[in-house]
Amino acid sequence: MFEELLEDIAQKNGLREVNTYLKLTAGLGSILLCLLSTSYIPPLFMAALLSGAILLLARVNIKTYAELFIFPLWFASVSVAGIILITGGNEVFWQWDLLPDFPLSITRESINRGMVVFCRVIGGMSALCFISLTTPMTDIFTAFRQCRVPAVVIELMMIIYRTIFILMDQIIQIYYAQIMRLGYSSYRESIHSFATLCGAAFIASWDAGDDLIRAMDARCYDGKFALLGENRPVEGPPGLAVAVFLILSAAIVIMSGNISLI
Amino acid sequence: MSSIILEARNLSYRYPRGMDAICDISFHIRKKEKIALVGPNGAGKSTLLMMFNGMIRPDSGIMLFDNQPILYDYSSLRLLRKRVGFVLQNPDRQIIAPTVYQDVAFGPTNLGYSEEEVRDAVTRALHHVGLEGFERRPPHQISGGEKKRVAIAGVLAMDPDVLVFDEPTSGLDPSGSENIMELLDELNNEGKTIIISTHDVELVYPWADRAILMLGGKILQEDIPEVAFGNPESVRMAHLSVPTLLELHMELQKRGFLRNGKKPRTVLDMMHCIETLLGKSRSHSSHGTITVCNVDLDNGILLSTWLSARKDISVGAMGTRAKQQAENLRISLDFTYGVIDKCILKALLGEDSLILTTESMIKRVYKRVVAYGEESGMIISVQPLNSPPEAVNETTGSLS
Repeated sequence: MFEELLEDIAQKNGLREVNTYLKLTAGLGSILLCLLSTSYIPPLFMAALLSGAILLLARVNIKTYAELFIFPLWFASVSVAGIILITGGNEVFWQWDLLPDFPLSITRESINRGMVVFCRVIGGMSALCFISLTTPMTDIFTAFRQCRVPAVVIELMMIIYRTIFILMDQIIQIYYAQIMRLGYSSYRESIHSFATLCGAAFIASWDAGDDLIRAMDARCYDGKFALLGENRPVEGPPGLAVAVFLILSAAIVIMSGNISLI
Repeated sequence: MSSIILEARNLSYRYPRGMDAICDISFHIRKKEKIALVGPNGAGKSTLLMMFNGMIRPDSGIMLFDNQPILYDYSSLRLLRKRVGFVLQNPDRQIIAPTVYQDVAFGPTNLGYSEEEVRDAVTRALHHVGLEGFERRPPHQISGGEKKRVAIAGVLAMDPDVLVFDEPTSGLDPSGSENIMELLDELNNEGKTIIISTHDVELVYPWADRAILMLGGKILQEDIPEVAFGNPESVRMAHLSVPTLLELHMELQKRGFLRNGKKPRTVLDMMHCIETLLGKSRSHSSHGTITVCNVDLDNGILLSTWLSARKDISVGAMGTRAKQQAENLRISLDFTYGVIDKCILKALLGEDSLILTTESMIKRVYKRVVAYGEESGMIISVQPLNSPPEAVNETTGSLS
């Protein structure tokens, strides 16, 4: 499954041993800079560098990485198309009065605006992929704890994280069982099968919850959850690389100013 | 005989939906015993197991642990659960934390151990089940057998006296099942009382000290496995099957080939019966030698050179650490389960064999070989590869 795939890659990636905060700084810093940027150039620059790091340093398969982008890019394209058509401007290239007081137009401003949004999506996606492909959730839990996030919240997150995979497994099994008996052969059948699937998943998770309490009680649960407290120290070269990357990106954000496509 | 650790007196329990789960059951379990609860689905095995650590409170009757009635208040239950470890049937339901380390550390952390002690307990438990290096792995990325081991490690980390397993081998492949049974043997050898529930008669027959056959919430029969499984009537009632060896022995007996004697528990016992029957005892021909190697000592090089001089020798490994070392040294293993018996069989054929095992299990090899020697009158020599010689001479002396 998809989410398992991401975790799988994160567990084995080439940047696994780099300090968690460093990776988070690089990822979150890029997202912030993407949002601050008013030009389309800086997000593309950051996307290129982060993708390079994902492909070359973390050694993620290029095909897998490209597949991750397909769905968000499709979504972004549709949204950007909407933005371009709806945003007005002075220099009109094309216009269509669809309804009174609601013209659809393509203008210089709308194209530039659309381009910036589209590039921000690419930059932001690369940054998110960078975090999720290089930092396993378990490392993020440790970071949360060190950042003084309340223990209850972290515990809940950990139990949810663990349960997602079990529930997902069960849902897949039920789904296959339905397919095997032609559960999704017609539209009507599909709706019925999907409803049954949801019901079964609910019962399964209820059951799993009961067992969870039992399993925790059997091991003397007293409100404590151990954490794998170790985090790698910040090493020189990666630290320097992240600093240079962020400073360079910030400089480009400032320098590029309002440079637009057309 | 060792003292009683768990005792049930007239236990009864009714499910919330009204069905009788346990009806007036009484029995006791002694320290260091290996007990198998066998019976069909719905016989009440799991319910009974859950009473051992106070997960289920009987409606009537009392459960005693270490001769004290179990109390059901919070602190007494915590104490009880520290001493009676419970491993659920489905490891996915038992493993609660997102990494192996965190899961194994769950019990010790909640018992209030310091961080240092928790780390020690986890390291020891993972070492025990042979999962060193798995600390940071998430449970959904490891195999079924490994998950089972993580679940066991999670309980071992609390260092309980009694270990209760609900269907420990369900869902595992045959070699995985055998490995788990051997791990249970190893734990028992270290002084832990082991109670399991299972349907697998063949697996449990040579393993258990005592078998308890259950049906419809009652105990059908409770005895040593030869007797408990040797009664076709109760075996049929409990929806089980007679173990093949026992059935073969009974058939041979019916035909007058065998006299009433000790029933065979293992292939080795059966061979002995058949050889006695045919009058072809090999006691005068030359037997092979069993060499025992202690893997707790640092002896990789010695072992490799010793083995390279003996290409055709059969090698068996007993215990998780021994198997691990064999893997590290790239030694291919011929036996991984029932190793001592298989090596004795080899020795009887005049072939030599090597057993890799840990310090604590070495005594068992000698004990088993001596016991076999006394029973069959055949002398098989066991020699150490690297143990301190003075400790072993005594035993070999009694053998030859």
